[in-house]
Amino acid sequence: MTIFEYFITLMIILTINFFLPRLMPGDPFLHLSGEAGLEFVTFTAEQREYFIAHYGLDRPMSEQYFRYLSGLLRGDLGFSYYYKADVAAIILSRIPWTLLMVTAATFFSLLLGIFLGSFSAWRREAWQDKVTYLLIVIFSEIPVFLLGIMLLIVFAAGLGLFPLSGAITPFSGYTGFALTKDILHHAMLPVIALSLTRAGGIYLLVRNSLTTILAKDYMRTARAKGLSEGRIRYRHALKNAMLPLVTRVTMQLGGMVGGVVLVENIFAYPGLGRLMQEAVFVRDYPLLQGIFLVLAFSVLTANLLADLLYRFLDPRIREI
Amino acid sequence: MPALEVDSLHVKYHSASQPVQALADISFSLAPGETLGIIGESGSGKTTLALGLMGLLDNKTSVAGKVIYDGSELLSLDETKRKAYRWKRIAMVFQNSLEILNPVLNVQEQVGEPLVKHLGLKKLELENKINELLDLVGLERDWKTAFPHQLSGGMRQRVLLAMALACRPELLLVDEPTTSLDPIARREIIELLERLQKEYGFAMVLISHDLACVARLTRHLLVLYGGRIVEAGKTEILLEDPLHPYTRGLINASPNFFAFRDLWGIPGEPDGGNAAGCAFAPRCVQSLEQCRSEIPVLQLLSGGRKVACSQGGIMTLLEVKGVSKAYRLHNKTIQAVNSIDLEIRHGEVLGLLGETGSGKSTLAQILGRIIKPSAGQITFQGKPLNGELTRREKGVQLVMQDPFSSISHRFKVGQTLREPLEINKVGSEQERERRIIEALTRVQLPFDELFLNRYCYELSGGQRQRLAIARALVMKPALLLADEITSMLDPSSQANILRLLKGLQNLEGFAMLFITHSLDLARKVADRIMVMRHGSILEQGSTQRIFTRPCCCYTKDLLAAAFEHEHN
Repeated sequence: MTIFEYFITLMIILTINFFLPRLMPGDPFLHLSGEAGLEFVTFTAEQREYFIAHYGLDRPMSEQYFRYLSGLLRGDLGFSYYYKADVAAIILSRIPWTLLMVTAATFFSLLLGIFLGSFSAWRREAWQDKVTYLLIVIFSEIPVFLLGIMLLIVFAAGLGLFPLSGAITPFSGYTGFALTKDILHHAMLPVIALSLTRAGGIYLLVRNSLTTILAKDYMRTARAKGLSEGRIRYRHALKNAMLPLVTRVTMQLGGMVGGVVLVENIFAYPGLGRLMQEAVFVRDYPLLQGIFLVLAFSVLTANLLADLLYRFLDPRIREI
Repeated sequence: MPALEVDSLHVKYHSASQPVQALADISFSLAPGETLGIIGESGSGKTTLALGLMGLLDNKTSVAGKVIYDGSELLSLDETKRKAYRWKRIAMVFQNSLEILNPVLNVQEQVGEPLVKHLGLKKLELENKINELLDLVGLERDWKTAFPHQLSGGMRQRVLLAMALACRPELLLVDEPTTSLDPIARREIIELLERLQKEYGFAMVLISHDLACVARLTRHLLVLYGGRIVEAGKTEILLEDPLHPYTRGLINASPNFFAFRDLWGIPGEPDGGNAAGCAFAPRCVQSLEQCRSEIPVLQLLSGGRKVACSQGGIMTLLEVKGVSKAYRLHNKTIQAVNSIDLEIRHGEVLGLLGETGSGKSTLAQILGRIIKPSAGQITFQGKPLNGELTRREKGVQLVMQDPFSSISHRFKVGQTLREPLEINKVGSEQERERRIIEALTRVQLPFDELFLNRYCYELSGGQRQRLAIARALVMKPALLLADEITSMLDPSSQANILRLLKGLQNLEGFAMLFITHSLDLARKVADRIMVMRHGSILEQGSTQRIFTRPCCCYTKDLLAAAFEHEHN
C-alpha cells in the first residue's frame, strides 16, 4: 500500500469515528444526569442545555465534524466530558497497560503457535499431530471472555494463585523488582486467556505452510546437503513459513484489540479496553473518538510495519 | 573395486492410489573416477535412481536392494550415519528449477552451509572458499549476495554446481544439467562439467535427455524404461549401434544428437506397461506374444554390452551373405553386385547410397525376388528367402522408381489395390474393402467410389507413387524396399511422399531399405547408411557417424560434392 492509500484509509476511519458515537441513542448529559447507576450527579434541564451549548453539541453535525478535524490537526484530541480532563492525557495514562497485554499476548501466541505448528508439521498425520490439532482447535474455539472467566474462577477465585482484578495491588507502595513482579502477577491470567485463543490461528497457519514447504524442492536440496536437522527445520523451512505468518499476525491485530477489550473488562484491567467500555457507557464522545482513533492508528501502523517486514523477509518483493 | 555398486535396487511409491513400481531390479557398478550416463524418457525412473543413491526417498516409498558405496551399504544406514556420506562424499547437482534453491537464503549462504557443516570452515576461510567455488564455476563474485530469483537459469545451474562441489565429493550425481538452458549456457555448462570432472577426478552419474551431452561426458551408459535397465554398455558403442528398439527410438527422437535427421518420436506413451511382460512391448515394433507374458532380463552379450529384450535386442529381419550378380554383355562379364553382406533389422531405415550404376537397383530387385542372384544366400526372418515368405502379409514389398511403369495404367485404382489381396487370398470381401480404404487414407488419397473407379493413367506422378506405396502397404509388409521412389517427382511431391512414408514407417514400425543417390534425403530419413560403389559395399554405419566421421575416401568425396554449398 502506498502512503496515499494509508492516508485515505485514515480519513475514512476518522469520519466513522466521529459519527459512530453520535448515532447511539442519548447524549453525554442525559447519562450523567442519572441512568449511569454509580454516578448520582443530576442535571436540571437548564444545566443540560447549558452544557450542550457549552460543548458545541447544538451546532450542525458538519460544523462539529470540521471542528473535530481541525482540532486533530493541532494535536488536540478533545476534552472528556466525564473525566473533565484532556482526552490525550487520559489515553496516554492507559496505553501502557493495553500495550503490555497486546505485545505479551502476541508474543506468547506466536511462540506457542510456531512451536506447536512446527511440532505438528514434522509429525504430520502421526498421533502427536492429531492430538495437538484437536487440543488447539478446542482452545481457539472457546470465546475469550468464557476462557477468561474460567481462568478467573479456577486459578484466582478457586486456587487463589492470582489476583482477581486490576493491574497492580493498590496502595502497596511496591517499587523496582517487587513492582515488576506484582505487574506480571496481575497480567498473567489475562495474557494467558488472550494467548490461548489467539494461538489457534497461528498454529494452523504454521502447520499448513510448513507442510507445503516440506514438499518443496529446496527442502530436498537441504536434506541432500547433509545439514543438521535444526538447520533444515529452522533456517530452511521456518524462514519460508514466516512470510505468511507476518501478514497473518498483523491482520489479526484488529481481532486482538477486540479480544483485549473483552479481557480487560473481565479482569478489570485498567487499559484502553476498559476505558472504552466506560466511555461508551457515559457517551463520552471525545474520549470514545480518541480511543477509536488510537486503536485504528495502531492497527494501520502495524500493517505498514508488516509491509516493511515482509520486504525484509522475502527478497523476492524487495525490488518491487 | 568399484566405488559404487548398486545391487538389485527396487523402489515403489505408495503415495498414489495404487503403488507405482518406480525402479525394478537395477544393478550396476561404477569405478572411482568413471562416468556413467543414464538416459530414458520422463518417468523412466532416472531421478528416482539418483534420489535413491542419495537416500532421499521419503517414507512413502519402499526401497529394497543394496547400494554399496566404498564398502558400506547405504540403504540400511540410519539418517544420522547417512549424513556423513551426503555431500561430503556423494553430492548431487539437482535438476534446475525455480524452487531448487531456497528463495529466502542468498547464494553465499546456500553454497557455504555444507562447508560450515562438513568442513567446519569459518569466517575468512569460509569466504575464501566460497569465492574460490564461484570462480571455479565461472560465476562472478558479486552474485554472492544475490537471491535465487535474481539469477538466470544458467547462473542457477552454476550455483547448483558450485554447491555440489563444495566439499569435493568423490561421486557426483548430475540431474539434467542442460535442460532449460539456452545454447550458449548449455555449451558452457557441458564444458565446465567436462573440465571439472577431469580436474577433480570425481566419479559422475549423469542423468539427461540430452544425448549429445551424455555422449560427450560419459563413458558408460544405462538406458532406463519403465524403471528397468533395458540396455547398458559403453556410451559410444551404444549410441552408434543401439540394440534395444527403445534406445534406437530415443536416438531418433533426439534433435541435438544428429541435427540433420528428421525428428520422429517413439509412438505412444509410457504407460507403466503390464506387470507381466516387457514394459516397452506396447510401443515396440517387433513385439511378439512372448514379450507380453514374460519380463525380459538383462542379458550379458559379447563386448560387455547388456540388453533386456526377449528377442535379444533389435532382430535381424533380412540377412544377405555373399550375394553376387553378374551379367554377360557381349563378351564381357559385368559384376553388377559383388559379394555383398548386409543386414536389415526390424523397424530400421537402412539408406543405401551410391551413384548411378553402382548396383543399388540390382540389389533391390534381388531382394524383391525379381531377379535371381548368381551366388549367395538371403535369409528373411531366419528362413531362406522365397516367394512364400515375401508375398504374404508381413513379407517384403517393393516400391519402384517409376510409378508409370510399375502400375499398369489400364487398372482402376480400386483394382490395383485389390489385386495383391486377391492373389494372396487375404480376408473376406469386407476385410479387403476396409484394408483398401485404410491404405488410401494412410497415403492421403481419396477413397470414394469415384476415385476408386478412376483409371491409373488419369493420375499425376505424385498420386501414382502414393498409390504404389498404398499397394505395398495393403499387405502390411515387414520390409519395404523403396528404390529411388521420389527421383521422378517434383520437390514438393517428393517432400510430401517422403514425410508420409517416414511417418508411416515410424508408426507401423516396418523396416525399410531406402535406396537413393541423394545424400540429402538419406541424411533426413535413414537410421543407418550403406555406401555402395561398383557393386560392392564400401562403408556402413549409423547415419550420424557416416555423415560426421566418414572413414572411406569415396564417402568423403561423396559428402564433399553433395554438401559443398553448406561449407561456404
